[in-house]
Amino acid sequence: MIHNRKVLLGAGLATLAMTLAPVSLAAPGAWSSEPVRIVVTFPPGGTSDLVARLLAKHLDSDYGQKAVVDNRPGAAGTVAADYVSRQSADGTTLLLANNAPFTISPTRFKTIPYEPIEDFTHVAYIGASAPGLFVQPELGIKTVKEYISYAQSKELAYGSSGVGSISHILGEAVDAKLDTKSIHVPYKGSAPAIQDFRAGVLDMFYDMVVQNKDMIADGEAIAIAIASPERNPQTPDVPTFREQGYDVVIENWVGLTAPAGMDAKMTETINDTVLAIFSSDAVKERLIELGITHSAMTSAEYTQFVADSISTWAPLIKSAGISEK
Amino acid sequence: MDILANFAQGLSIVLQPENLMYCFIGVFLGTFIGVLPGIGSLAAIAMILPLSFYLDPTSALVMIAGVYYGAEYGGSIASILMNIPGTPAASITCIDGYPLAKKGRAGVALFSTAMASFGGGIIGMLVMAALAPSLAQLALSFGPPDYFAVILLGLVAASAVSNGSALKGIAMVVLGLMLGTIGIDLTTGDQRFTMGIPELRDGVHIVIVAMGLFGVSELIASIRDNREGSTTQSIDYNDFYPSKAEWKSLLSPILRGGSIGSFFGALPGTGQTIAAAIAYAVEKRISPQKKKFGTGVLPAVAVPEAANNSATQTAFIPTLTLGVPGSPPMALVIGALMIHGITPGPRLLTEAPDMFWGLVASFLIGNIMLLILNIPLIGIWTRLLKIPYKYMYPTIMVLICMGVYSLNNNVFDIWLTLVIGAIGYVMRLYRFEPAPLLIGFVLGPLMEEHLRRSMLLARGDAMVFLERPISATLIAITVGILAFTVYKSISNYRHVRTSKTQPTK
Repeated sequence: MIHNRKVLLGAGLATLAMTLAPVSLAAPGAWSSEPVRIVVTFPPGGTSDLVARLLAKHLDSDYGQKAVVDNRPGAAGTVAADYVSRQSADGTTLLLANNAPFTISPTRFKTIPYEPIEDFTHVAYIGASAPGLFVQPELGIKTVKEYISYAQSKELAYGSSGVGSISHILGEAVDAKLDTKSIHVPYKGSAPAIQDFRAGVLDMFYDMVVQNKDMIADGEAIAIAIASPERNPQTPDVPTFREQGYDVVIENWVGLTAPAGMDAKMTETINDTVLAIFSSDAVKERLIELGITHSAMTSAEYTQFVADSISTWAPLIKSAGISEK
Repeated sequence: MDILANFAQGLSIVLQPENLMYCFIGVFLGTFIGVLPGIGSLAAIAMILPLSFYLDPTSALVMIAGVYYGAEYGGSIASILMNIPGTPAASITCIDGYPLAKKGRAGVALFSTAMASFGGGIIGMLVMAALAPSLAQLALSFGPPDYFAVILLGLVAASAVSNGSALKGIAMVVLGLMLGTIGIDLTTGDQRFTMGIPELRDGVHIVIVAMGLFGVSELIASIRDNREGSTTQSIDYNDFYPSKAEWKSLLSPILRGGSIGSFFGALPGTGQTIAAAIAYAVEKRISPQKKKFGTGVLPAVAVPEAANNSATQTAFIPTLTLGVPGSPPMALVIGALMIHGITPGPRLLTEAPDMFWGLVASFLIGNIMLLILNIPLIGIWTRLLKIPYKYMYPTIMVLICMGVYSLNNNVFDIWLTLVIGAIGYVMRLYRFEPAPLLIGFVLGPLMEEHLRRSMLLARGDAMVFLERPISATLIAITVGILAFTVYKSISNYRHVRTSKTQPTK
């Protein structure tokens, strides 16, 4: 399954790459006469669902490939991943998932009904969005350094969107890296956490940065740092942890995955079609609005990326103390 | 003045053709489901929930609300004509509604309930418009301990005033609380009582519990009872409008019922059924016709209907301003809003004023639509009751399965619904009310969430509940209700004992 072709692509370079290596790539286009089901790990309305519907729309309008979105939420994405792993690898069932079912669940849950690499064909990477640290303006802190000295004098409480969520894992990673200690207060999703933050119940919270840019602009919250490798163009004033001297990079990514054993030619066709759609201007703009930074990967690169993510996330999840005993 | 301007703004939103259409679909569907015995507003809301995801949030909310209060209108029809409550709350309407129908006054009874429902609905709407903004203002400073205290008060009030056996009511609340603990523990992330079944990791969905307890178990019960033979009283269309004297006798019961209903609707935990029961009990004590209650008098059907309808409107107050469901169907409303990216809470009024006031104004429009649906078009609904059950119930069963399946696209959920339905049927045989179970199930996890969050934030100091003025006040009221209930049951017990022992003397 592993291709030896290795093309390193940066963000936004997908189109350039295609012109550089046109021979090795299959042409984008429909791959099945049957409608494709894109299984989503969340209920309708969330970011994953919106991305899936965007993809389904353009598959049909741009390439005549009929596609429908099938929401199968539950157990942090493991219900949907398990379901897809048991379908036929004929290209009619695809899973649009974030990192949770592949990189969080295997370490977090005692047993999961699938193997994150062997039971799947990881087809295409779509993009990533990054969470960050937000604090109450009254605390008068603006940088990571100021945060450290404040947090060492007083134990602060932070809100997350739930145990084992990316915001919780970031919170634990920040504490470990900065040698600070804080109280984790989990919520069901980020919206109620932000509500309590605004009511003054919480000192701080971790959440996706771009989604909260209005709060930053209104001065309701100070974004101390974002956990992406580079600043997000949507929030240019929010510095990264890295540029402030602390190597904390944790991103929530989404990608497209099929059951194991999919034909290599078909994998390539799907990858190319998906990349062509997500690098078109209109779609890219929509992704940026959703806070997602797109970059292109081949199927092999994406598989390697998932495998790497599993090993980088495992110690974070273990140190957060949320693995099932 | 401000309220008037806001209301006018809301009205302009509801009067948009699209919203008018969804409002109509909502009230029509609600009446339809309400007429059918056994499945109430919860099942109806659950069935249209998937559809609402594709609508604009305001339209979705208007439609769901329409189903909710539409079902209460419809619920009275089967109560009066067949002595079968269409919804749990309509069971109180049976007491005098069916005797009225047997006297040949079904038309007048239906007309009066429609008018009472309308009156109650308008009272509920006015209470909501007047009260919600100030409650939201107050709730801006609510912390987790205050939320905990509100929910605790609601649960205690619900079990203290439930109709039927208090002990069985409390047992059902506790069973609901236990059912609510299934799934991942929010604070630690550990699985509780999931028995290794991945589908249970996220807990049991409220729709599954509600469809099982109310939908499936009612279907089983009606097969066993074989109600097919039960006669439908016919309506004499010449005798439809109450006389002038009767009109007069209806006015103050409607006002009283509407006020009592709006209080219990706004209190989380107590819903339409309790509101209707209490309003009936109060009226039975103070009405000039109190001696005739139970034999078929008009005020006795008007009061519970006014109460349950105003309660359905005011149930939206805690739901939208605190994010605490005022009744079990409201838990679905919160879920639907969350999927649209809207978090119900104190900021909803300022952040989505169009939605809030659009909803309030839709109560007026929806209630007018219902009046039209229920008075000139009453014939359609009575014909619906004549459809043989052998066609009706399999259809409902299919709809229930579809509704449940659409939640997660998972067949496991259908099996779970059937299992809960079977358990619900057994409970029904032993006269355990399913409604308190559902209340415990909805509010329990929420109460636990706020309790544990309070403790986390207070660094483990339980005094936090007594130090905050809001939570301290609410807890004092709760203790008061508990003390009163205990006092009352002890004095009742003594009373029963003395009256029992006296004859032997």
